[in-house]
Amino acid sequence: MHTIFMNLAVGFQTAFTFTNIVWVFVGGILGTVIGMLPGLGPATGVAILIPITFGMNPATALITMAAVYYGAMFGGSRASIMINTPGDASAIVSCFDGYPMTKSGRAGTALAISAIASFIGGLIGMIFLIFLSQPVASAALKFGPAEMFSLMMFALVATITLSEGNLLKGLFSIALGLMLSTIGIDALSGAMRFTYGISSLQDGIDFLVIIIGVYAVTEVFKNLKSIDTVYKFDSKHIGKVWVTKDEFKQSFWPMIRNSPLGFVIGVLPGMGGTIATFMSYAMEKNLSKHPEKFGKGAIEGLAAPEAANNACSCGALVPLLTLGIPGSGTTAVMLGALMLLGVRPGPTLFTDHPEIAWGVIASMLIGNIILVIINLPLAIPLVQLLRVPQRIMLPLIMGLGLIGTYFLNYSSSDLILVIIAGVIGYLFSIMEVPLPPLVLALILGGTTEQSFRNSLVLSDGSPAIFFEKPISAAFIVLAAVSLAYALIKRKRQAAK
Amino acid sequence: MALGDKLGPKVFPYVVGTVAIITGIALILQDRNPAKKSKRADFGFAKHKAVWIRIALISLAGIIFGLAIDSVGYMLSTAAFMFVVSILINKNRYVQNIIIAVLFAVITYGVFAVALKLSLPRGFLEQLLPF
Repeated sequence: MHTIFMNLAVGFQTAFTFTNIVWVFVGGILGTVIGMLPGLGPATGVAILIPITFGMNPATALITMAAVYYGAMFGGSRASIMINTPGDASAIVSCFDGYPMTKSGRAGTALAISAIASFIGGLIGMIFLIFLSQPVASAALKFGPAEMFSLMMFALVATITLSEGNLLKGLFSIALGLMLSTIGIDALSGAMRFTYGISSLQDGIDFLVIIIGVYAVTEVFKNLKSIDTVYKFDSKHIGKVWVTKDEFKQSFWPMIRNSPLGFVIGVLPGMGGTIATFMSYAMEKNLSKHPEKFGKGAIEGLAAPEAANNACSCGALVPLLTLGIPGSGTTAVMLGALMLLGVRPGPTLFTDHPEIAWGVIASMLIGNIILVIINLPLAIPLVQLLRVPQRIMLPLIMGLGLIGTYFLNYSSSDLILVIIAGVIGYLFSIMEVPLPPLVLALILGGTTEQSFRNSLVLSDGSPAIFFEKPISAAFIVLAAVSLAYALIKRKRQAAK
Repeated sequence: MALGDKLGPKVFPYVVGTVAIITGIALILQDRNPAKKSKRADFGFAKHKAVWIRIALISLAGIIFGLAIDSVGYMLSTAAFMFVVSILINKNRYVQNIIIAVLFAVITYGVFAVALKLSLPRGFLEQLLPF
């Protein structure tokens, strides 16, 4: 208990510098705007904003990215409420009751409660994050290569079993990502693999290029169908962005009880804000005395998923910071950007760089307060940005994505690679091959292979080592259970 | 490390490759089973012809941008790329697109080359600048 407060004090020391506070503010606003604009999710936002973290020290860079991620969670629901179009996938649920509230003239209340719920969900999520990260990191410090390998296998398998969609296509996506990660000079033996004499492949495929390809270029391509859409809303009748005492009371318990749910879902790999929000909406509807009001502007139907969503984004930071394993597209992008700055999140982050680990956590507490302040009085001016048409936004995203790619290595072949990745990503999205497993496998591939080979060195080549070590065996069992669960669930769905 | 590394660099790619092949075969077999047949992917080449043409042209512009940036210089190539992409997406608004393209190139150059001091390719335009 005592050490946690000591650590937090170290964190606040980092977070409370002028530069870091400014970046929390800037990142929060950029994130809110990016989260708000339909078709632009937090992953795209962080991907195209990677260049602004150049020249920052790692702590400031991670603080900025966390603020963008976090701001996007606040912003996502703005578009759902105003124009019935979710800003990102985790804001779909906010349309159910948010838009009906706007139609009945309560847009101001809806905007206010969604910001307040985001704040409360985030606050509860952060408290869990503070108390959970140190123990998880300490436990993970004792992991040998066998445990690391099994943990990564579990994380990769879970990204496809816990999310929706075809299992085989997900597995294919993982295999492809792992294959791409083997291109280049082998770190252990120095052998060239799959370079075909092309010198630019020697250093391997930079996963940040692939990330920008599938999250920026592909997103632009996907949105090309809707470039002529113009969103119309009436900003004169938003009303006061505030809630009454009764409305707050009505939403209070739904916010409180859905935050832990969201947090747990966020910790699990593959289950992001989309699942958290849908589950919390279903739970509130079941618990409610007036389920018939849901979908017609029930304030708790908006408050509950908003709280769950922000708690979920805090949960997602637990595996990222403590294990170095991202569980979602956005956290994968954050990991990639950090590795570019020479920081490898993982259990050692808390012992070697406590100022980074705790600085981020402390900055998120500050960011949470800044964001609720931004999103209440500035709600009305901010939603005006929804009027910026797609046909202006898309070229800008494309441009930022491409120059960001160039800045990574000053390599013109990366620009060709990012376009190829964007086109392939677009084809995959049409064929419903999920992209996050590919990105995760590509990032984790190197470490997965190293821990695999190191374990077999330890065991003299016997794969039994993965089952003999209890923690490693536990992760393998978990992976098997999640696979079985997914198979049964899909059988049932098919039977319906 | 290489000392104890009996496995060598080949095993992991073999394992992963085998998994990929098995998944591929399983996907084909799954599609032969009419009960489990997945929806045929709808690329909509005919229905969304305009979108595909735009994707092809934007991709081409991106590749040319990549080939040209080092010799032409950052600002000129970026402005040209932005203008082409804007024209493809934001049709017929030439003045608006020229303003977007020029502002984008100048502002990003200012932020990244001048303020953040990244060494961006200098063509003849950049060489005219005092910094």
